[in-house]
Amino acid sequence: MSRMSQISVSVFHFLRKHREFRTFGFLIALFVIVGIFNASYLTPDNMENSVRSSVVYIIMATGMTFVLLTGNIDISVGGVLGLSAAVSATIVRNGGSIVTAFVAVIVIGLIIGLLNGLGVSVLKIQSFILTLGMNEVLRVVQVIFQGGRNVEGLPTSFQRITQHEILGVSTLSIVVILLVIGIHLFLSMNRKGRYFAAIGDKEEGAVLAGIPVKRYKIYAFMMSSVCAAIAGLIFASRIGNNIPTTAGLGYEMTVIAACVLGGVSLAGGVGSVLGATIGAIFMTSISSALVFLKVDAFWKDVISGSLLILIVVFDMLLIHRNNQKAKKQRLNARVLEIRKEM
Amino acid sequence: MDGHRQLVNLENIMKSFNQNAVLKGVSLEINESEVISIIGGNGAGKSTLMKILTGVYKPDSGTIRIGGEIVESYNPHVAHVKGIYLVPQEPVLFPNMTIEQNLGIGHPGKLKKSELRAKAKQLMEQLEWNLDLNRMASSLSIAEQQQVEIIKGLLRDVKVLILDEPTSSLTFAETEKLFRIIEKLKANGVGIFYITHRLDEVFQISTHAVILRDGKVTLKGDIREFTKDMLIQGLLPIDSEKKGKFSFVKRRVNRVKEEPVLQVRGLSGDGFRDISFDVYRGEVVGLAGLVGAGRTEIAEAIYGITKPYSGQVLLNGKDITRLSVRETIDQGLAYIPEDRFLNGIFSITSITNNVTAQIIRNDRFFLNRKLERTVTDEYVSKLRIKIVDQEDEIRSLSGGNQQKVVISRILATKPQLIIMDEPTRGIDAAARSDIYNIIGQLRDEGYSILLISSDLEEIELICDRIYAIYRGRCNVCLEADEIDVTNVMKAAFGTYEGV
Repeated sequence: MSRMSQISVSVFHFLRKHREFRTFGFLIALFVIVGIFNASYLTPDNMENSVRSSVVYIIMATGMTFVLLTGNIDISVGGVLGLSAAVSATIVRNGGSIVTAFVAVIVIGLIIGLLNGLGVSVLKIQSFILTLGMNEVLRVVQVIFQGGRNVEGLPTSFQRITQHEILGVSTLSIVVILLVIGIHLFLSMNRKGRYFAAIGDKEEGAVLAGIPVKRYKIYAFMMSSVCAAIAGLIFASRIGNNIPTTAGLGYEMTVIAACVLGGVSLAGGVGSVLGATIGAIFMTSISSALVFLKVDAFWKDVISGSLLILIVVFDMLLIHRNNQKAKKQRLNARVLEIRKEM
Repeated sequence: MDGHRQLVNLENIMKSFNQNAVLKGVSLEINESEVISIIGGNGAGKSTLMKILTGVYKPDSGTIRIGGEIVESYNPHVAHVKGIYLVPQEPVLFPNMTIEQNLGIGHPGKLKKSELRAKAKQLMEQLEWNLDLNRMASSLSIAEQQQVEIIKGLLRDVKVLILDEPTSSLTFAETEKLFRIIEKLKANGVGIFYITHRLDEVFQISTHAVILRDGKVTLKGDIREFTKDMLIQGLLPIDSEKKGKFSFVKRRVNRVKEEPVLQVRGLSGDGFRDISFDVYRGEVVGLAGLVGAGRTEIAEAIYGITKPYSGQVLLNGKDITRLSVRETIDQGLAYIPEDRFLNGIFSITSITNNVTAQIIRNDRFFLNRKLERTVTDEYVSKLRIKIVDQEDEIRSLSGGNQQKVVISRILATKPQLIIMDEPTRGIDAAARSDIYNIIGQLRDEGYSILLISSDLEEIELICDRIYAIYRGRCNVCLEADEIDVTNVMKAAFGTYEGV
């Protein structure tokens, strides 16, 4: 029994420290299981395709990770994606360059992120409620902007940014993966990068350590919105024509699920963009896996939902256990130990 | 003093939170090589003062001078740059980072990783502490966390170091080593503010002592001019006017003839050890002590919220140790928790529902509205609760009246013994004396009351007997004729030695 519990304890600690591995394990398991039934799923082509089709989610999950690390949440990313898809597509249709469209979506992202960040850090509004409301507002703004119609008549050149390839591999995927690695290094190695996780880990400690907590929370929301805005441009380019008014509907939930699957804690302080990226790839891989298995698509939500619950329950048990332990120690540390007389 | 340069000077600092004045004009200065002990009861303003000194709070008025210059815009980052560092009482490490990351974060200097490691290792050697820098902070014990906090402070080239009860979770040997480090820092010219409740330590390491009471400095000077009794005197209030004209006749129970209602025998649990005391019928017994001494934990163990390790609780001779809350209520125990807003009331429902919340289960399937109204009427008139209508929401009442509703609910269960935890915290003077009257009334009707209070004057005023809890242990029992403010204060600080 003690041997078994020892092994389980060390596995437990390993998973705690390297949460990305957990998701990576899920991802490999998924590929192996589907590969058993349909070997064509394991071709490099299909794997490349998995990454390619998750690029929008990867970008959004990267931004979302910043917000989650600080212990907040950003529900408005779906709305930001929709609005910036509509705006960028309209600019390109009206003869504007892609660079203009890119600048426009960045501005949209910065403004919305600033509003969210100020609301949460200065006005101290619950991020869940604030960004939920922001999401609804953005949805309506998008419908008004499009006049209730799809954005049509886009030039084919708009699609090229997402279709460009180097040696058969999507250029966009390569750029995004390199950026994710860069951001991962920034968040884990750079002293300022670590501030985001520090705030969510223990805000009181962050204040005492002289970290400008409010400013970094605003940065986090701006990062999330800008990422979602860029994802909107890519989303529009990928669709190519007829951008619907429902663009990006429900994406926020998929993105948050991807982050959590990738080991980013909703309680803040824990997680990495690398994990979130693996989570995002996992989410899209389930969809394609079901196609290969010839299973109805709605099963996707059952699988991702169950895994999500599993992970959240595991995390809550962990937090609960640690809190109980800490409280017990704190109480007993105060007790006067009577020293034995020499 | 003595030609040492002045490091920090605080002048006439005032600070209020929601019209509650915490600091009422505090002036304080520290020079090089001074160790100033700051002593004060709970709520005296020690933590607030130190948070102002480190830039966490902004003072409402007053000036802060660092190195002779007035600082205008002040925040924790500026404090770190100026060499002022606070080691907090409760460690606030980042649990999901390693020790090394914790030590480095927010460090104002541009210290390289290798330098940081080397410096930390050297400090640990001096302190004879052994910590693996790669360990996650969440895996550390409380004492180890405190060690990391202290190293974190020492790593920065501090000019002023604030230690907030640093020894509260260190062992005796660890404390001695920390004192040696303090001596060394002192020799290097560092000024140290040392906050503590332990008067022995004050005399062991400090050069000066400052006593803070009720937001003001009441005593300040060279430690050599003081004795323990003088420090205790400085902590005592000058007048007791705020308690009003309420007077209480203390009662002596004939303990030879009567059986105790509650007997606690050698109870040990998280935060307390080997606690024994009795409560007799028609008696108010106080548990005195400082916040964090373990009194609430004792009450929770008796009531059944937590399970004790060992020991026995007897109610009317019946063993009720380790029963669940439901069962201890059935046996006749009642508990009014510390924060009535957080734990005591159901704020958005009616007064009636609040009064009868604990007895409605005795009914059949549907609630007996008539009974509920009768019971509520009975207690509203008995305790003189000021209400407009029984169906009003309880949060429409004032704090004191809310507390009375809570007491009504408890009385409706017909308890033998009522445990009250800080019944008057945060309520105004008029409601306060109402509560005292109710406690007196309940005692005269034969209820037994166990009163937990950090307000030493209050506990002195209304208790027939007092047990003092100091750091989780119960060493002193004050009989009616021994109870006065000085003795209670001494007992709470663990220095009472009997008459």
